[in-house]
Amino acid sequence: MAGSSENKSNESKIGNAPEEIGGLLGWINARLPVVQAFEKHMSKYYAPKNFNVWYIFGILAMVVLVNQIFTGIWLTMNFNTSSEGAFASVEYIMRDVDFGWILRYMHSTGASAFFIVVYLHMFRGLMYGSYQKPRELIWIFGMAIYLVLMAEGFMGYVLPWGQMSYWGANVIVSLFGAIPVIGQDLMTWIQGDFLISGATLNRFFALHVVALPLVLLLLVVLHILALHEVGSNNPDGIEIKKLKDANGIPLDGIPFHPYYTTHDLLGVVVFLFVFCFVLFFMPEMGGYFLEHANFEEANNLKTPEHIAPVWYFTPFYSMLRAVTYPLFGFDAKMWGAIVMGLAIAVLFVVPWLDRSPVKSMRYKGWYSRISLLLFVAAFIILGVLGTRIATGPRTALAQICTVYYFVFFLAMPWYTRKEATTTPPARVTGRFITVPQLALALALVVGLTWLPLTAVGAESDAGLEPFSVNLHDKAGLQAGASTFINYCMGCHSARFSRYQRVANDLDIPEDVMKDLLLLNPSANLGDLMESALPKETAKNWFGAAPPDLTLVARVRGSAWLYGYLKGFYRDPSRPFGVNNTVFNNVGMPNILEHLQGDQVCADKTCTHLNKVEGTGKLSEAEFDKVATDLVNFLTYLGEPARLHRETIGAYVLFFLAFLFVFAFMLNREYWKDIH
Amino acid sequence: MNDGTVNKSRRRFLIGGTSLVGAVGGVGAAVPFVGSWNPSARALAAGAPITIDISRLIPGELLGPMPAWRGQPIFVMRRDQATLDTLHANVDHLGDPQSKNANQQPLYAQNEFRSRKPELMILVGICTHLGCSPKLFAQVQPQDFDPNWKGGFFCPCHGSMFDLAGRVFSGVPAPANLRVPPHYYVNDNVIVIGLDSENS
Repeated sequence: MAGSSENKSNESKIGNAPEEIGGLLGWINARLPVVQAFEKHMSKYYAPKNFNVWYIFGILAMVVLVNQIFTGIWLTMNFNTSSEGAFASVEYIMRDVDFGWILRYMHSTGASAFFIVVYLHMFRGLMYGSYQKPRELIWIFGMAIYLVLMAEGFMGYVLPWGQMSYWGANVIVSLFGAIPVIGQDLMTWIQGDFLISGATLNRFFALHVVALPLVLLLLVVLHILALHEVGSNNPDGIEIKKLKDANGIPLDGIPFHPYYTTHDLLGVVVFLFVFCFVLFFMPEMGGYFLEHANFEEANNLKTPEHIAPVWYFTPFYSMLRAVTYPLFGFDAKMWGAIVMGLAIAVLFVVPWLDRSPVKSMRYKGWYSRISLLLFVAAFIILGVLGTRIATGPRTALAQICTVYYFVFFLAMPWYTRKEATTTPPARVTGRFITVPQLALALALVVGLTWLPLTAVGAESDAGLEPFSVNLHDKAGLQAGASTFINYCMGCHSARFSRYQRVANDLDIPEDVMKDLLLLNPSANLGDLMESALPKETAKNWFGAAPPDLTLVARVRGSAWLYGYLKGFYRDPSRPFGVNNTVFNNVGMPNILEHLQGDQVCADKTCTHLNKVEGTGKLSEAEFDKVATDLVNFLTYLGEPARLHRETIGAYVLFFLAFLFVFAFMLNREYWKDIH
Repeated sequence: MNDGTVNKSRRRFLIGGTSLVGAVGGVGAAVPFVGSWNPSARALAAGAPITIDISRLIPGELLGPMPAWRGQPIFVMRRDQATLDTLHANVDHLGDPQSKNANQQPLYAQNEFRSRKPELMILVGICTHLGCSPKLFAQVQPQDFDPNWKGGFFCPCHGSMFDLAGRVFSGVPAPANLRVPPHYYVNDNVIVIGLDSENS
């Protein structure tokens, strides 16, 4: 312990006689106790020396919070809070603002990362009894943070004003409509209108960017102050303050700085690596972090076919849907809202539900361990079910899990007293979970979630031919751009994209691009790609205005687009004489027909199409190339920064790996003192 | 593992190294935040070169309606021989009569009349002091601000004066001549503002 004793001598000099500090620090410290504050919270805050990996998530939550605050402030600089401009302004950030896409992905990935680390942080608390006396208030502040975070997540999700934003907001606000007597009026008041509208968007924006962050910051400060007052719990659930040395320092405590600062730095670098991997290589996370339907602008007349809240709300959403019976004179809608509210409310009273004489699962009995394991499985199952369409068996499973969710908490006073516990040792142990224990725990969680989910039926995707996107084929993309401007833009717009950007990205010479623009003589290269066809005229022709196609690849997916382009077949019953295999009753003529030729169904179900001989200018292979190029171009158009994103991502990950080496060595150097 | 000694230099090296690499990361993380303040593609498109038609330009008056390039007023005026003669005469009162400050005009306008064609004045109508737009006082007649006024621009904000070539007077707050924007003639009547030549 030579290292720490050396530190101590330095610190005690500073601590005992702050007036002796010279220079600027001394001047400041005589007026503001910065040295004492640093000592209280860092260099003389004694944390148990047996923290394991579960103790990183608090720091990570703070890292994400800082990320959210900074990227959030920067996003407001270009965000438009009107219902007419919100969606377009997000695409403006994604395309026209330098580095705007990074800021937006940092914020959207950060939102999901926040919930991931907070859920793990909460699980840590449940596992090691961190809520027990004297840490009840820390837990309550933490739950308040979680509650505010949910409000932040919800309101933030409304701001991009996509279809999921709109309909998600609609569902959540309608929950208030479940309240008897005042419900409907309350809803109207919250919305500031008879529907979710620009008024709602504006107030949610104000709450999301000003009010709730202020509350959140205050709660975080309280959470940490309360923690530093009573000291941290640890995996053994032992109070380290019970055993102190002659100087009053806990025997099992080590100064937070430098030991846990170096430790946490390492954890933060690892976290950033994972975070940046998602940010740069899979920012949509398969539609879980950024839902596909949210790339379509809000439409109050059309609910998306499949609506699910963003993943971090799905467990509670499942509970809401699982309540299907009226009871005691209240309807199911009301009970659903109550169950959802209680599911969160019950978390606040956990410190008084746990009656165990010990804190940590290490010394609790099997009742507690099995209950917690089942609880984790039930929570994950509810989460997964919330992302799926409800069916009979799935609803039944959700009901079972909902009941168990409450049983876990409400039976806690009973099973924590009833079970046999072991006596914790007097000093903390350095032990970690063994590999077989870890494997068993993981296998149990996976098994307990996967088996019931499989039993109620997994979803199968529609049988689309897979399409592999190629954004490196510049010639193909140029051909696709030409097809798009010549054919699609006759009726459709790409009004979030600019000609100039497309020309630059795809190496289309400006004069070639200008020739393409001759179709729309008033257009300049820097303009947005509006259609030449006025919206009203288009509406008269087709019955509905043709949708904007800038983001169609992100909404529908490349495989769908490819199937669609190749899926037109003769159907005299339709207004334009054609139907489509992947888009039934499509209201659009086959604009590429003179290239592709006519197709007819080969069988009753139209799973195969046959080309009518002698129609179409192109052979099947030639048309295939046209369709492929167009889909590739639309994929590019959906996210023009994609290739750039992946390149930057590779550099960032490489840098973080380099930083990891330093952080790793620094951490090891200091922890030599402890081990 | 702990032999009771601390390798101080190793710690110093590791702290320094980690801090240095971390600082590089901090600078890298700041790039998107700083970079996003640059003019966006929309601003760049709005600030694209403009084409103006001067066929209806009345001598001695500014082209109206006032053209704007990058949102700034562009002063275009046809100067007759008498005006050009006064530009010769006024040199003693000017801060930079030979347009030595190369930042204020393209090379082809670095001359006495500060223009490609002597008779045509093309200026960015923004005072080089603090960004107000100076007013044209074209007549040769005494003014409140200058009893010997030979025609030129007077800035209402802080009283800077410029002659009809946009050259700043000495003894006024403005430090430099009015800027000549990059421009070229498509033909005698059509000028593109914002580019030096068709191929630039």
